[in-house]
Order: sequence, then structure tokens, then C-alpha cells
Amino acid sequence: MNQRNKNNSIFLSQICVILFALLLLTLDIGGWWMAKWFVTLRGMPAQTHRYLLCSLYACSPAAWAALWGLWRLLCNLKDNRVFEEENVRIMRIISDACVAAAVISLVSSSYYLAFLVLALCSAFMALIVRIVRSVFRQAIEMRSELDLTI
Amino acid sequence: MEIRVNLDVMMARRKISGGELAERVGITPANLSILKTGKAKAIRFSTLMALCHALECQPGDLLEFVED
Repeated sequence: MNQRNKNNSIFLSQICVILFALLLLTLDIGGWWMAKWFVTLRGMPAQTHRYLLCSLYACSPAAWAALWGLWRLLCNLKDNRVFEEENVRIMRIISDACVAAAVISLVSSSYYLAFLVLALCSAFMALIVRIVRSVFRQAIEMRSELDLTI
Repeated sequence: MEIRVNLDVMMARRKISGGELAERVGITPANLSILKTGKAKAIRFSTLMALCHALECQPGDLLEFVED
């Protein structure tokens, strides 16, 4: 992949992260109304509104942390800082955020079963990020060994 | 347990400076310093060969196995 393609790809990814951040912000601001609308639409019991809000606002910090991590990761990639310890730390944050979202979704599935799908997706995402993190850590070790081979 | 690099000893015996040795071997002074301070994790045969050639010595004169 040439430099221009690489930069375009990173730029597109950054735009996607911004779009997701805007979506999350909208959800944070309009969460109360959205949850109300959803409960009415589905004909759920009134107390579900409260539960939905709890799930929504509990997941929000994890989502912000994951988005911040993705943004930092993309900035580092843009600066050609790929196999760095900082990236491993960021991926740990993203993975932990996914695990947190999975746990919250799993608990939330007790009142709305569809959350189980979200929990599974988050857990799978956490697994993928964890594996990529291990690959990065291994690559960093290999690079440092290569750098110190005279 | 480690492999010690006795480069400074050989350099002193041959009365050769770091800069000159680096130039003769074809490595940077920074890399030579990594070798001298024992921070290197590996050494290429080609580098070892060039060092032995420049210092007129055997690999055993440069590398030493030290038990704890």
C-alpha cells in the first residue's frame, strides 16, 4: 500500500471515529427521549425506561474510552509510530472498554433479551483486540531485538 | 549467566579508538557503543568477522561466557 493510500485509509477511519463520537454524543444528550420512544414503540413496562437509561449511561463511558483509544491509535499510525508500547496500552483500554460493555449488556439482557446479542458482539470484539494486542507486543519485542542486533 | 563482550580490552591492546574501529568495521559509533556496553542482544557473523579482522583476534578474544 503506498503512502497516499495509507493516509487516505487513516483519514477515512478518523472520519468514522468522529461520526461515531457524534452519534454517541447524540445518544448521551437525547438518551432519555430515545429510551422513552423505544419503550413506547415496543410496548414495554414503564420501569424498563429506567433500566434502559441505566444501561445506556453505564455503557457510555466505555464507548467514549474506546473511541478515544481508536483516535489515539489512528493518530499514532498517521505519525508512523506503529509498534510502540503506547499502542499496546491503548489497545488494552479498548479491550477493557469492550469487556465492560459486554458485562453491562449481559446484565441488561435480564430485562431485554436483545442485549445478549450486543454482549456477545462486545465480548467478541474484546477478544479480537486482545489478540491484536498480543501480536503488537510480540512485534515490539522482535523489533527491539532486531534494533539491538549489531 | 551472560555473554560478555570484551571489546574495550581488545581495543586497548591494539591501541585503536572507537571511531576508527567503527569506521574499519563499517558500523556506526552508536552501534559500537551498544556492543561495548553489553546492551546488544545479538551480533551478526559478518560484524564479528569484521571486528576480528580489524582487531586481528579470534571471536573468543572478544566474547566471554560468564557464569553467575
